[in-house]
Amino acid sequence: MDDLLAEFIAETREMLEASGGEIVAWEADPDDRARLDAIFRFVHTVKGNCGFFDFPRLASLSHAAEDALADCRAGRREPDQVLVSAVLAIIDRIAAMVDAIEAGEDFPEGGDEDLIAALGDTSETAPEEGQEGDEDAPAPALHAPASALLERGEEAGTPFRRNDAAAQRTIRLPVELLDRVMSGVSDMVLARNDLAHRLRQAGNQPTIDGPFERLTAILSDVRDAITRMRMQRIETLLSVVPRMVRDLSAELGKQVMVDCDGGDVELDREMIETIRDPLTHLIRNAIDHGIEPPAARLAAGKREIGLLTIAARQSGNTIAILISDDGRGIAEEKVAAKALATGLITPAERSAMSRDKILNLIFEPGFSTAETVSTVSGRGVGLDVVRQNLEKVGGSIKVASQPGLGTQFTLQIPLTLSIIAGLTVEAGGQRFAIPQGYVEEIVQATASALDFTRMGEAALITFRGNRIPCLMLADVLGLDNADNARELTLALLRLASGDLFALVVDRIHSHGDLVVKPLAPAVMKNGLYAGSTLLDDGQPVLLLDVTNIAARHDLIADGRARVLQPVEDEAAFAAAAPRAMLFTDFAGRRSAVRLELVQRIETAPVSAIDRSLARPRAVIDGMILPLVGLPDAPLAGDKLRLLRLSDGACELLHAVREVEDAVEMTDALVAVPEDPLVEAITLVDGQPVALIDAHALFALHGEPPQPAEGLRPRCALPDSEWARTILAPLVTAAGYEVVPETSADPEVVSILFEDVYEAAAALGRTPPGPVIRLRDHPEESHAGATIYRYDREALLAALAATRKARPAGGQGQ
Amino acid sequence: MSELLVIVQIAGRRCALGAHDVKSVIEIGAITPVPRAPDFIAGITALRSQTLTVIDCRRALGLDDADGPTDDRAVVVASGGHSYALMVDAIEDITTAAGAPGQVPGGFGAGWSRVAIGMIETMTGPALLIDLATLIAGPETARGEIEAAA
Repeated sequence: MDDLLAEFIAETREMLEASGGEIVAWEADPDDRARLDAIFRFVHTVKGNCGFFDFPRLASLSHAAEDALADCRAGRREPDQVLVSAVLAIIDRIAAMVDAIEAGEDFPEGGDEDLIAALGDTSETAPEEGQEGDEDAPAPALHAPASALLERGEEAGTPFRRNDAAAQRTIRLPVELLDRVMSGVSDMVLARNDLAHRLRQAGNQPTIDGPFERLTAILSDVRDAITRMRMQRIETLLSVVPRMVRDLSAELGKQVMVDCDGGDVELDREMIETIRDPLTHLIRNAIDHGIEPPAARLAAGKREIGLLTIAARQSGNTIAILISDDGRGIAEEKVAAKALATGLITPAERSAMSRDKILNLIFEPGFSTAETVSTVSGRGVGLDVVRQNLEKVGGSIKVASQPGLGTQFTLQIPLTLSIIAGLTVEAGGQRFAIPQGYVEEIVQATASALDFTRMGEAALITFRGNRIPCLMLADVLGLDNADNARELTLALLRLASGDLFALVVDRIHSHGDLVVKPLAPAVMKNGLYAGSTLLDDGQPVLLLDVTNIAARHDLIADGRARVLQPVEDEAAFAAAAPRAMLFTDFAGRRSAVRLELVQRIETAPVSAIDRSLARPRAVIDGMILPLVGLPDAPLAGDKLRLLRLSDGACELLHAVREVEDAVEMTDALVAVPEDPLVEAITLVDGQPVALIDAHALFALHGEPPQPAEGLRPRCALPDSEWARTILAPLVTAAGYEVVPETSADPEVVSILFEDVYEAAAALGRTPPGPVIRLRDHPEESHAGATIYRYDREALLAALAATRKARPAGGQGQ
Repeated sequence: MSELLVIVQIAGRRCALGAHDVKSVIEIGAITPVPRAPDFIAGITALRSQTLTVIDCRRALGLDDADGPTDDRAVVVASGGHSYALMVDAIEDITTAAGAPGQVPGGFGAGWSRVAIGMIETMTGPALLIDLATLIAGPETARGEIEAAA
C-alpha cells in the first residue's frame, strides 16, 4: 500500500511539474485548446487515482475542476479569467495536499468548498458539486473553517510545495540503466588504475599528479553514490510479510499479529533477493513451531493473538534483521535429545554445553525438531540451509530463546554483495581472491615451525598450540602444486560458524576493495567460486567460496567438534608454557616479548617515523603511536619492522631488526633486577634471550590512543581569531574537542571572556555547562573567578577541574 | 522472414546464431582458466569491467576432435543474464535468413541435434541454427557430472 501511495505521489508530482508550463500558458491564453486538454488530463488522472485511496478532498477538488474543464471542452462554457484562476487555485491546492500526504501531515481543514464554488455555477456542474459538497461539508463545519485560507490558498500552497519538492526531488529510472552506469563507473575505475600504473612507471610528474589525484577522489565519490543508487529499501521485502502471515496463520488455525519495523533500511537489491528465502523460511517456522494455537496461549496466560516482530537495523557495514515471536520458545531438552539421538553430540558433551550452544544446534545439518512434518515449514529444507545461504553471502544467524516467552532469530548480513574487501593469493601460478572477512591471520613460516604433517590425505599444522586442519589451495583446485614444502604461506580462515582452517597458498599478493561480479551458472555449479572480480590490470580473478570449500572437505565441524573446540583450546592453554615472540633488536640482542602483548607485526616505511621530537613516534593505520627500540644511528633501508604491542588500553611500537618466531618458554625465567626494562632472562634453544618487562615498557612509553571524535569532552570557545589560533590548540591538546559556541548541551565546557560572560549573565543566558572565565589583564581587576588568558597552568587546572567534576559523564556521550 | 544471422564455423560446420543474441565480436585476450570447471568452459575473460565466461564450442558440442586452431575473435552472447564469449573456428559473416528452420532427414547427429534448432537457408547458403541456451549448458556428460557433484 505504501508503495502504491508513493507511486501516486510521484506520479502526481511529475504531472504537476510537467503541466506547470501548460498552466501558465493557459492563463495567458484561455482559448488555447491544447493547453486546456493537458490540464483536463491532469485533473482527470488525479481524480481517477484518488479512487484507489481514501482522499475524499482530493477527489472532490479534482472532480469539480474536471467538470468545469469538461464544460469548456464541450463548448458549454467559455473559459474566462475567473475560471482559469479558480482551476489554478485548485491545482495548487492539490499540490499542497499531495505534499502533506507524503509528509504524513494533516492538511489544514476547510477551504475546499470555497475553491469549488469559485469555479462558478453552471447548470451541468451544479448537481455534481452539490453532491461532493455534501460529502465534504461536515468536516469544515466541525472544525471551524478558516475562510481566509481560500485567499491564501495560492500563496500559502505554492511555497510549501517548492520547499518540499526541492528537498525530495526524485526521478524513476529503470534498474538496467543503473547497472549500465555502475558498470561504466567500474570501467572508469579500471581505466584509472591502468593510468595510475603507467604514471608510476613514468615517475613523478607534478603537473599530472595533481589532476590525477583529483580524478581519483571524484571517482571514488561517484562510485559511492552509484553504490547507494543500487540500494533498495528492505520494505520491498517486508511488504509481503503481513499477507503471508495472514494466510499461514489462517491455514494453521493460529492468530498472529505481525509488526514490521525498520523498512527504511537500505540494502543492495541483490542482497534483498538473497535473503528473501531465508527470511520466508524463518517466518514460516515462527508461525508453525513458535507461536502456539490460541487455546494453548490462553492457557499459558498469554494473549490469544501471537506477536511476530520483524525489525531491521543497520550498523556500520552490516544489517541486522531480528525475527522474534512470543511463542513457546525452543525447548532446550528437546533439542538436546534430538541432537543426541541423531548423534550430533554425545551425552558427555551434552552436559558440558550451555543452553545457548544447544539452541544453536538447530542450524546443524540434518536437524529438524518438528515431530510431524507439516506442509508449512517441513519441506525438506531445514535451518541448516538457511544458515548456509546466509553464510554464502557472508552473513550469519543466531538464535536466542526463552522457554514460554519466545524466540528471537538474529540475521547479520553485509550491506552489499558487490563490493567487498578481499585478499589476492596465488596458487599453481594463478591468482584467486578470498573475502577479507574470513581471513584471521596470515602466517609465513617453515614447515617445521608449523609442525606441518600429512595424515593420510589430510594435513594438519600446529599454530599457537592448536592443531588446525590445513588445505592446499592447489590441491583443492586440482592445480599443479609448486612443491615448496620448506616455506609455507598460509591464510588462517575463520568461518562464520567459528571453525578455523588454514589454506596453503604459494603467495599472498595484495588486498583491496573488490567489485564482485556474478559468474555463469556452469562455473558456479562446482561450488568452489562465489564470483569473479577484476584486478587493477583488468585481469579477471575468481573469488573463492570459502565456506563451501571448507564444507566440501568436511572442515565445517558437525556439532561435536564445534562444541569441543573451546574445551580443547582451554586445555591446551592451561598446559602450555608461556609463549613469547622472539626477535633481534637493533642492538643485536636477542629479545622476546610475551606473545599476548603482540597485536601484530607491522612493516612501516621509514617515512612514517618521526624522530624530530624527544620521543620517536610512528604512524600506523592513521594512528600516531610511540616507538621504542630505534637505533641511535640513522635508519638504513626504507622499511622498518615493528612489533605492535598493546596492554589492552594503549599501544606502542617496538622496532626490531628481525622477527624470528613465536616460541614457548619452557626453561626457567631468571629475574634480572639490575635492568629495569628486562623482566627475565631465559634460554630458548640453548641461547639466552632477554624477556622484555612489559610493565616497565608501558609505564615509560605507553600513551592511551586518542579517543575518537565525539568521545572526548567538548569545549566551546569564544568566536574570535585569538581563540581559534591560540586558545583552541591548547584546549585540543588537553584532550578536548572544540565545538561551536552555540551549544546548549550541559556536557560542554564553555570558555568565555569576562565581559561576554557578564553580558550573558545579565541576560540570563549563561551556558548550561561549566564555564571558565578569562580576563585580558594579568592583574585581577575585579573580584570573581577569572583566569588571565595567558596563564597556561591555571587554564589547564580549570579544565581538569571541570573534568573531575563529572568523571564518567563527560566521556559517556 | 528476414532475421539477421551471424554465421560462424564450429568444427568445420557452418552454424548460424540469431543476431539479436549476439552482443559483439571481440578480440579475445588473456583467458583466466577456471580450475575444476567442466572442460567446455575455457575460462573467464574480461570485457571492460564485465566478466565473460569463455565457452569452447567444440567441447560444448561434446566433440572429440576438439583441438585445432580457433579464431582469435570470439562472439559475445548473452543468455540467462550472463555474458559468454564463444570460441569458434571462424566468424564468417552476417546474413539474413531465407526461410524458417527445418529438419533434415536422418537428423544432424547426436551432439549436433541437441543444440540445433534446425537447418536454416540463408542468403549465403544453408547453416545449422544453434540454440544458445543448450550450447552454453554444455554436453550431457558434463551436465551429469556437475549435477552429481552439486
